[in-house]
Amino acid sequence: MLNLKQYKDSPVGTLVIIVAFCLVCSVLVSSAVVALGPFKAAAEANDRQVSILRVSGYDPGDAVAQTYADHIEAHLLDVEKGVFVEEMQDQADGYNFASLSRKPETSTAIPAEKDVAGLRVRATYMPVYFVKDDAGVVTRIILPFYGKALWSTAYGYVAVDTDGNTIRAVTFYSHGETAGLGGEIDNPRWQALWVDKKIENADGAYSFVIKKNADHEGVGKDFEVDSLSGATLTSRGVDNAVRYWLGDAYKPFLDNVRKGEIIK
Amino acid sequence: MSDVKSPTWKEALLDPLIANNPVMIQVLGICSTLAVTSSMKTAFVMGLSVTAVTAISNFAVSATRNYIPSSVRIIAQMTVIASLVILVDQILKAFAYDLSKQLSVYVGLIITNCIVMGRTEGFALKYPPVPSFFDGIGNGLGYMLVLCIIGTIREIFGSGSWFGITLLETVNNGGWYVPCGLLVMPPCGFFLVGLLIWLVKSFRKELIEPAEYDTHREDY
Repeated sequence: MLNLKQYKDSPVGTLVIIVAFCLVCSVLVSSAVVALGPFKAAAEANDRQVSILRVSGYDPGDAVAQTYADHIEAHLLDVEKGVFVEEMQDQADGYNFASLSRKPETSTAIPAEKDVAGLRVRATYMPVYFVKDDAGVVTRIILPFYGKALWSTAYGYVAVDTDGNTIRAVTFYSHGETAGLGGEIDNPRWQALWVDKKIENADGAYSFVIKKNADHEGVGKDFEVDSLSGATLTSRGVDNAVRYWLGDAYKPFLDNVRKGEIIK
Repeated sequence: MSDVKSPTWKEALLDPLIANNPVMIQVLGICSTLAVTSSMKTAFVMGLSVTAVTAISNFAVSATRNYIPSSVRIIAQMTVIASLVILVDQILKAFAYDLSKQLSVYVGLIITNCIVMGRTEGFALKYPPVPSFFDGIGNGLGYMLVLCIIGTIREIFGSGSWFGITLLETVNNGGWYVPCGLLVMPPCGFFLVGLLIWLVKSFRKELIEPAEYDTHREDY
């Protein structure tokens, strides 16, 4: 150590000192990551549970984990077939579809003509959450959905009634839209407009739409939601995301729900 | 390296608040100033994070300044700063997950915030650890001060709230206030920084740098 100061600018001295620096710093960083890991995982799980409960119709108050355990049941959906993958149900809760959609073995390419949400690929399996009341009867189905908005990919959950066609609630848990403009997709007053809207009309054609000057009285009142003023592109992105997921990707599953084959 | 006469801890702490403010006078860290000031919560947490990182990195670099080989001193400083930023990011993710989501990449980008690097390179390499530590705190607080001033203006007039508490009920929420959309956009942060620099320099004329050339000079 005595000579190190003196020789700090020699090649060997430089190497020794930099290696020491890197060692100390990497030990610091890795021990912090390991030590904080459980807290981080808990915070992430809590965040996800809060988002899901927000569209479940249950107000968790402080007992997030308890309410979640009592009322939410996760399933893993084979999106294309529209049926659950029973043997993987234990992985369903918190199934990380966002990162798994980037791996070839767990993802499926979306054909360009269907890719209205600008995603290119999606996870082959998606988690689906059942909301159960105290008697264990399924009351809502919560479906994750996402798509490219203006600046970012917006991720959300939409709760659909057991008829497979009526939207009960919507929330967004991750997006990078401009606060006050596109960020208003988080505004509960706007989200309330989605409630009771239908996905398909009586003829089975996809009809839900977010548009300017939505129809509040005529035939469109069951399907149309006003877009956000000052956030045309964000509204369009959300509309496209819903159009892709509810109108296309989840259609086999929702059709099965409508036929009563999922919830017995 | 022999130490030049070091500023006292008090000078090191107070000087960067106004007279040598990192944003207004040194004009560093502008990028993140524009990005995180659309709401007070993010501005405040970002200010705290930068303060912690500058203070600790200044201290660490200063304590080891006689050992850091001058040929790779930037790399050595970056190693220290990057480790600290990862620490701060992990702590935020563990204990303030919501805020860390809102700050998104900007916590990670503290690494590239010129204030941190500027202080370790410009101050900590020359002076002992204690004044360096306070210089880091002072610069962090100076940055935070600007962030909070701009954040206050942008959040109140752009979103009608302050720290998330509604002050002016906006039209979107059924109130009367039509928020100024420009204020939530990053360019507005730029205008406000400019106005702030102008304001400070009009009140404290000694802070105006002399012009590099002057065509009206006698000997020109």
